[in-house]
Amino acid sequence: MLVVVTVVFLLIHLIPGDPVAVILGPEANAQQIEDARRELGLDRPLHEQLLRFYARLLRGDLGRSYFLDRPVTQALWERAEPTLVLMLSALVVAVLIGVPSGIVAGAYQGSWWDRGLMTLALLGVCVPGFWLSLNFIYLFSVRLGWLPVAGYASVFQDPVAAGRYMLLPAVSLGFNQSALIARIARSCMIEVLRQDYIRTARAKGLAERSVIFLHAFRNALVPVVTVIGITMAILIGGAVVTEIVFNIPGLGRLIISAILRRDYPVVQGVVLLTAAAYMLINLMVDVVYAYIDPRIRYA
Amino acid sequence: MPEGVAVSESAVLAGAPVTAAGARTRLVRRILKNRSVVIGGSVFLLLALVALFADALAPYNPTRLYPGQRLKPPSMQNLLGTDEFGRDIASLVLHGSRVSLLVGGVTMILTSLGGVVIGLIAGYYRRLDIVIMRLMDGLMAFPAILLAIALMAVRGPGVWNVIFSLSIVYLPRTAMLIRSTALSVRELDYVLAAQALGRGGLAIAFRHILPNCMGPLLVQGTFIFAYAVLAEAILGFLGVGVPPYVPSWGNVIASGKNVIREAFWVSAFPGLALTIAGLSLNLLGDGLRDTLDPRLRRE
Amino acid sequence: MSYGKTAWAILTLTVLVLCLAAPVPDAAAQKKGGVLKVGNLGEPPTLDAHWTTATITEVLAQHIYEGLYSLDARSQPIPMLAEGMPAVSKDGLTYTFKLRQGVKFHNGKEMTSADVVVSLNRWGAQSTYGKTLYARVAEVRAVDTYTVEMKLKEKTATVLISLAIPNNAAAIYPKEVIDKFKPAEKATEWIGTGPFKLVEWKPDRHIKMVRFDDYQPRKEAASGYGGRKVVYVNELLWIPVPDAATRVAQIETGELDFADDLDLNAYERLKGSSGVQAIVAKPYYWLVAVFNKKEGLMTNQKLRQAWQAALDMEPIMKNVAGGHRDLYRMDSSLAFVENAPWHTKLQGLPWNEHNRDKARRLLREAGYKGEPIRFMTTQEYKWMYDFALLSKQQLEDAGFTIDLQVVDWATLVKRRNNSKEYDAFTTGMGNFYDPTHHIYLGPNWPGWTDDEELNRLLTELAREGDYKKRFALWEQVTRTFYDRVPVARYGDLFGLRAMRTNVKGFDTTLMRPRFHNVWLDK
Repeated sequence: MLVVVTVVFLLIHLIPGDPVAVILGPEANAQQIEDARRELGLDRPLHEQLLRFYARLLRGDLGRSYFLDRPVTQALWERAEPTLVLMLSALVVAVLIGVPSGIVAGAYQGSWWDRGLMTLALLGVCVPGFWLSLNFIYLFSVRLGWLPVAGYASVFQDPVAAGRYMLLPAVSLGFNQSALIARIARSCMIEVLRQDYIRTARAKGLAERSVIFLHAFRNALVPVVTVIGITMAILIGGAVVTEIVFNIPGLGRLIISAILRRDYPVVQGVVLLTAAAYMLINLMVDVVYAYIDPRIRYA
Repeated sequence: MPEGVAVSESAVLAGAPVTAAGARTRLVRRILKNRSVVIGGSVFLLLALVALFADALAPYNPTRLYPGQRLKPPSMQNLLGTDEFGRDIASLVLHGSRVSLLVGGVTMILTSLGGVVIGLIAGYYRRLDIVIMRLMDGLMAFPAILLAIALMAVRGPGVWNVIFSLSIVYLPRTAMLIRSTALSVRELDYVLAAQALGRGGLAIAFRHILPNCMGPLLVQGTFIFAYAVLAEAILGFLGVGVPPYVPSWGNVIASGKNVIREAFWVSAFPGLALTIAGLSLNLLGDGLRDTLDPRLRRE
Repeated sequence: MSYGKTAWAILTLTVLVLCLAAPVPDAAAQKKGGVLKVGNLGEPPTLDAHWTTATITEVLAQHIYEGLYSLDARSQPIPMLAEGMPAVSKDGLTYTFKLRQGVKFHNGKEMTSADVVVSLNRWGAQSTYGKTLYARVAEVRAVDTYTVEMKLKEKTATVLISLAIPNNAAAIYPKEVIDKFKPAEKATEWIGTGPFKLVEWKPDRHIKMVRFDDYQPRKEAASGYGGRKVVYVNELLWIPVPDAATRVAQIETGELDFADDLDLNAYERLKGSSGVQAIVAKPYYWLVAVFNKKEGLMTNQKLRQAWQAALDMEPIMKNVAGGHRDLYRMDSSLAFVENAPWHTKLQGLPWNEHNRDKARRLLREAGYKGEPIRFMTTQEYKWMYDFALLSKQQLEDAGFTIDLQVVDWATLVKRRNNSKEYDAFTTGMGNFYDPTHHIYLGPNWPGWTDDEELNRLLTELAREGDYKKRFALWEQVTRTFYDRVPVARYGDLFGLRAMRTNVKGFDTTLMRPRFHNVWLDK
């Protein structure tokens, strides 16, 4: 974690460009800029700034945004909700589309279902998410006018509007991931179906359907859960672009504008938060995996 | 049994050639018979040829502006239409393939080389392993795109900066792969025997460990190529990739975003090219993975 | 008689029916209430008016703050918080301002000279225009509760106009707020005397303003930015929508009631869209390539003249304007057409000559050997990138070698302060209300114009009080400008705004939007 923090700090300060000049506006002169730099502590040597940064971090203080005039933690808190909602919705979409498709394709391996679904999955992996978003906007918002072009409404305030705004972003973000999940689910299904105990179940005369659902399904799910965990992590990155295209006021858009405005504290804050979340997710995946897989539990 | 140097028992029993050279020929033939490889490979080859001969194929100089011809729909004069400066989309797409393939290819080579070096060192020398692992973990804690954006902000626009940033982002993946192979091979009898005989570490690395990695490395490399092509487009789309006046698929899609209603063709065609490139690479990778090591699919 | 009674009955009935059916006269149609949703370019760096010249701060701040003076429809100063025009001493060195009485701040306190003096001093220490004025000011003090006196070091023609400029404005804050925030700090309490008061600022979500019920409007009719201001809407909600295309889409769907700085490509579509009124914002900016005259290639005047001579500006302007004739204007005056007092109509200036031979000759005379000229621009203002790219091609056709560097706005603003980092950069000039405010003519702004003749003329202009003489001086400045070419002036670009048709009362002639006197009709 320490490596991460240091890398982030150094990285950001290497970027050319002056946050103060942006804040003051195009017609400010050199003296005003100097004064403001001193106010913000930017004129101290780099190692001094780094040490102060560590010290503050230990206290849980992520600093103060230059641009937004508020503590970074507050800025992050305000923007966490849209990103979380987006990621969860995309995850739901990805799972709802991916898991059944994969299971069905695997269960009926070699059939037209299988071929068709897997071709779709291949497309899903290869179509660039941002291009898909643009096409969706063009089709559903511009041409058909069914859904709003961009924007965000909070679920807690107006669920219906929130749903309408979130539909296109969630689907375009989730579509890519659903393809991944589908392929994994399919291969897991195939693998499980080859196992002995499935043959036993069939030999016992059980209907095909119950064979699939009762036995194969649950066991195939184990690695799928792992993939879902990985998907969550990938979604963090994908959310950035989606937020830009759909103008969602979340963490992704925050970091892009912070980078453009050279708002160092905010960039550091978002990156740290992201890295922490990533690690947390991986940890949770490990835990769930251990819980679901009976073989590991009794090991 | 180490993978790659495929002299399996069943093969021997079947009377197949036992020599390494013979096994390799069999492998190559198996690869070439796989349908995914054939389709993916030929499309990709086509793409490479297009990139090579873009100058000859393109009807116009892609950087020449014709201000009077802005946003013209596809016609006999401009097969894929023009953008807002009157540049020919077809020429832009053809030349854009150069950037994409260059970025993808060099990134793949750099990550493979770097991954091999780092992975071998980590797998072989225990003490360095810990440090390297920490570093790699730190790098992998970020979503790839986020790290790429941050790196680009530090270095500024430019093709080589994009390649550099993407190589750093994808390096850990290859390094981990090589490292795990190195670790598994290191304990094998014949390696220990070689060590006892006094063979140096480097020789062992190259003669024994490396050949086992070739297969997975190639597969991984193909996918990294695909990721890099997509990542370059995303960076271009966000405005932090190659300079905007350099023909690149991401740049053209970005310029089309604002005029998507009046002129959907500006974004549509480069996106299509991107999808096709991604498709071909993914098919190729899938096929190679299926033939070289079916067990990799489980990861 | 029954006949008479029937007639009366019919008459009464007819009158009644007519009264009921008659349309309500428009004068009484202003409806109180509603929420007006405005789409913004992004987040303002601050709402402290003294702190920055950023346009977005200006627009927002001008709804909650006011100054002693404001500008009318002819860009002339008119009183706002001051009672009337100031009394000026014979020698022209003392200005006495009488303040209006009973003007309330948003916190309920009454505005007095104590608030005015400290506010002006803070503005004089921090604001670009404030500092320029205060360089000539000896002292500002309170004479009594409602009178403020300003003593100058020498005669100055620009006192009133400086106090009236809405950008980086001399806004009046309560003394308590001034005492809390030093000039170089951004004030984080926003209490003014304006018709709106700030209720909530959620960054990246919205800025919420509501009607200030204790606002004291002036009696004179609304004119320009001044005069009588009445707030009809209950709430003014500013929503940041950084993507221009999204702003357009949201206006069409009604998610926004007003959106500014729209993508010019959307002009045709907006004109044809029902429920939407497309407004061309004039003036907006004139496009300019600023040259580094401190060091580097462009210190050579002949090179600058060659650049100016080579450009064929109309195709560039037309392309930047999205192909629409309505959205640009070819004009050589340094002050906009709409800035009537200072608009010049000189002929024979070497502007837009598109004379490639002349350019080539000048390049030869300059001794130019094809060294790359670093031309900085950004994509964050799309029109900047557009005209830079188009210029590059034209210039290269004439023999220049241009190294186009596309960076983000933050980097550009930083680099342009460093004379080693560029040879030219792109920007746009807005409206300057006084000839002495044209920042690109002086040495304190990037580009560092330090021309003897220009300096002399501008000092004269700061001193001279007679309008006719000032205008003659200004014409001289313009001629000298086109000979020295400190910057290359292109044409005028207009902006695009859009408004839902149920938004009424909006003054479309204003350069920057104002939402007082505006109501929602629904």
